[in-house]
Amino acid sequence: MADQIPFTETEERQALRKSVAAFASKYGEDYWLEQARAGKKTDELWADAGKQGFLGVAVPEEYGGGGGGIGDLAAVCEELSAAGCPLLLMVVSPAICGTIIASYGTDEQKQRWLPGFADGTRKMAFAITEPDAGSNSHNITTTATRTDDGWTLNGGKVYISGVDEVSDVLVVGRVESAKTGKLRPALFVVPTDAEGFSYNQIEMGIVGPEKQFVVHIDNVKLPADALVGSEDAGIDQLFAGLNPERIMAASSATGMARRALEKATSYAKEREVWGVPIGQHQAVAHPLAQSYVEINMARLMTQRAAALYEAGEYLLAGESANMAKYAAAEAACTTVDRAVQVHGGNGLADEYGLVHMVGASRLTRIAPVSREMALNFVAQFSLGLPKSY
Amino acid sequence: MNIVVCVKYVPDAQADRTFSQDNTTDRTNVDGLLSELDEYAVEEALKLAEAGEGEVTVVTVGPDGAAEAIKKALQMGADKGVHVLDDAIHGSDAPATSLVLAEAVKKAAGGSPELVLMGLASTDGTMSVVPAMLAERLGLPQITQLSSLEIADGKVTGRRDSDAASDTLEAPLPAVVSVTDQINEPRYPSFKGIMAAKKKPVETWSLADLGVDAGQVGLESAWTKVESFTARPPREQGEIVTDEGDGGTKLAEFLAKAKLI
Ligand SMILES: Cc1cc2nc3c(=O)[nH]c(=O)nc-3n(C[C@H](O)[C@H](O)[C@H](O)COP(=O)(O)OP(=O)(O)OC[C@H]3O[C@@H](n4cnc5c(N)ncnc54)[C@H](O)[C@@H]3O)c2cc1C
Ligand SMILES: Cc1cc2nc3c(=O)[nH]c(=O)nc-3n(C[C@H](O)[C@H](O)[C@H](O)COP(=O)(O)OP(=O)(O)OC[C@H]3O[C@@H](n4cnc5c(N)ncnc54)[C@H](O)[C@@H]3O)c2cc1C
Repeated sequence: MADQIPFTETEERQALRKSVAAFASKYGEDYWLEQARAGKKTDELWADAGKQGFLGVAVPEEYGGGGGGIGDLAAVCEELSAAGCPLLLMVVSPAICGTIIASYGTDEQKQRWLPGFADGTRKMAFAITEPDAGSNSHNITTTATRTDDGWTLNGGKVYISGVDEVSDVLVVGRVESAKTGKLRPALFVVPTDAEGFSYNQIEMGIVGPEKQFVVHIDNVKLPADALVGSEDAGIDQLFAGLNPERIMAASSATGMARRALEKATSYAKEREVWGVPIGQHQAVAHPLAQSYVEINMARLMTQRAAALYEAGEYLLAGESANMAKYAAAEAACTTVDRAVQVHGGNGLADEYGLVHMVGASRLTRIAPVSREMALNFVAQFSLGLPKSY
Repeated sequence: MNIVVCVKYVPDAQADRTFSQDNTTDRTNVDGLLSELDEYAVEEALKLAEAGEGEVTVVTVGPDGAAEAIKKALQMGADKGVHVLDDAIHGSDAPATSLVLAEAVKKAAGGSPELVLMGLASTDGTMSVVPAMLAERLGLPQITQLSSLEIADGKVTGRRDSDAASDTLEAPLPAVVSVTDQINEPRYPSFKGIMAAKKKPVETWSLADLGVDAGQVGLESAWTKVESFTARPPREQGEIVTDEGDGGTKLAEFLAKAKLI
C-alpha cells in the first residue's frame, strides 16, 4: 500500500487548489491584515469558504461534506495561506475536532457535529496545552470524574485559540480507567457557555484575527455523551486528531513560505541599486533558490504524510507528519527571514506585507508541536535513540 | 429548460502569447483556460437550471486543450460537455467558428435548443460577433450584452446597459443571448463539483460528425489573412516634471501641448 503512493497530486486535488486560490484572491492579504489590525475576525472569509464546501472537504459525504481526505483539507489550508489570508481555526476545527469525531464519535455525536463542520457553520476549538504540562502532554491534570448522569470536569488550559468564536471546545482531560484504575487521556466536548467555564485573552505580539486564551474549568458539569470515543482508547484516538493537525500546520507554513518567496523573488527581479536587478547577485539569488528547494521538499513530505494517513498507514503517517511539520516550519522561518533581507528596509515596512510574517513564521516552529518535540519523535522512533525525556 | 452554453478556451492572458509559423495564435504551447467572460454565461445557465428543471450543456470549438474549458464548466456544475475537435478547424475565422458552433449546438440540443447563452466577448479575439452570427445561422432571435436576465412565459427579458441609457429587451424563446460581467458573480468550483465533474459525460465531435464540410472552415477559407505582425514597441520613458514651485504651470503646459486642455 504505502509504496504505491504517487508523487504527484491528482487532477482533482490540483483543481481544488486552483479553485481555492481564485476564491482566496477575492480576500487576500489586505483584507486579512485589515481585519486583524482592527481587532476583527475574518468571519466573512470563513463563512464564504464554508459555503463553497472548502472547509468541509474532508467530512464524510453522508454528513454533507466533500468526502475527501486530510490531503484535500491541507490543500485548502495551504492555498489560503499562500494567498495571504490563512484561517488558523481550520487547523483546529475541521482537522482535529472533525477528524476525531468522524473517527470515534457515536452516530448521534456525528449527526450533531459533522454537518456543521461540513459547511463551516460550526467551529470548535481544541484544548490540550496546560500551563504546567506544556509539551509534556502526559502531565496534563485536567480531570473528569464520573457523576450519576455524566461527568464533572476540573482543570485549566493555556494558549487555546479561538475560544471566543466557537460554541464548543474539545478538551483533552484524564479519566480514571474503569478497568485498570489508571488515569488515561479522554476527550470531552465542552460548551463555552457552560457554568464554570471561563476564559481570558492572552495579549500576543503576533498579528492575527484569531486570539489565544487561558481557560479555566471549574466543576463544569457535562452530560454522559460529552465524552467522545472510548475512555479506554487513550492516546490512539488523540493521535487520530494530532497527525492531521501536524499536516495542517505544515501546510499553513508552506503556504506562508510560498507567499514570502514570491514576494522576495519579484522584488529581487525589479529592485536595482547597482544597475542590475539585485536578484543577479548570487548572495541574493542562492538563498531564494534554497528556499524554493526547502519549500518543495516540505510540501512533498506533507503530501506524503497526508497520503499515508488517508491510506490508513497511521504509524508511517505519524513519522511523516512530524518530518513535514519540522521541514515546513524551518522553510517558513528561513524563507520569511530571507524575504525580509532581500527587501532591505522595505522588509520591515508594513506596506510590503512581510514584517507581520516574522512572528507568524516563528509560531510555526513552536505550535502545535515544537521543533524539538518533532525531533525527539524522529530520534526516538525513527533512529531508535534512547528516550530523552 | 435545456440550455446550451458556448464557451471558448483562450490562451492565459497572464502568460506570454506567441504566434505559430502560419501567423495564427499559438494555442498549443501556452497555458489556456476557460475565457473568463464565459464564466458569467455558465453561471447564469446554472442559476436558471437550479431555479427550475433543466440541463446545462457546454459546447466548445477548439484544440485538444479546450477540454480544460469544458472541465471547468462541468466543475462549476454544468451537466455535460461537447468538444468539437478537428484539425481542419485550425485557423478558422468568426464566420467559420459560428458555422461549426451552429451545427454543434443543434446536435447537442437534439434539434433546437431552448436557450443558448454566450459570453460578452472572448478574452483573446474580443470581436464580440460570434453570438450574432450564431443566432443568424440558427435562425433564432438574439439579444446580446445583457446585464440581467429573466425567463417567463416563453420569453427571455433582460437589460442592456450603456453609458447613457439602459434598454429592456425581450425575445421569444428559443433565443441566443449573450451576457456581460455585470450579470452575476461566477461561482468557484466546489470540492463536490470537482469530484462530480469526473463522472460527467463529454462527447468529442469531428466536422464529419456535424456534417460540416472541412472546405468551409480553417485557415484557407478565412475571410481575412494575417500577412505579418510586429510586437508592440516598448513604452517610451515619460516626461518627468520636477516641481520647483512651478509644477502646476508645467503640468498645464504639458497638457496643452498634448491638446488635452
Ligand atoms: C499562537 C498559539 C496558538 C496556540 N493554539 C493552541 C490551541 O488552540 N490549543 C492548544 O491546546 N494549544 C495551543 N497552543 C499551544 C502550543 O501547542 C504550545 O505552545 C506548544 O505545544 C509548546 O508548548 P509550551 O508553550 O508549553 O512550551 P514548553 O513545553 O514549555 O517548551 C518550551 C521550550 O522547551 C522545549 N522543550 C520542551 N520539552 C523538551 C524536550 N523534552 N526536549 C527538548 N526540548 C524540549 C520546547 O521545544 C520549547 O522550545 C498555541 C500556542 C500558540 C503560541
Ligand atoms: C481552434 C481555433 C483556431 C483559430 N485560429 C485562428 C487563426 O488562425 N487566425 C485568427 O485570426 N483567428 C483564429 N481563431 C480565432 C477565431 O477566429 C475567433 O476566436 C472566433 O471566431 C471567435 O471570435 P472571438 O474570439 O472574437 O469571439 P467573440 O465573438 O468575442 O465571442 C463571443 C462569445 O462567443 C462564444 N464563442 C466564441 N468562440 C467560441 C468557440 N470557439 N467555441 C465556443 N464558443 C465560442 C463565447 O460564448 C464567447 O463569449 C481560432 C479559434 C479557434 C477556436
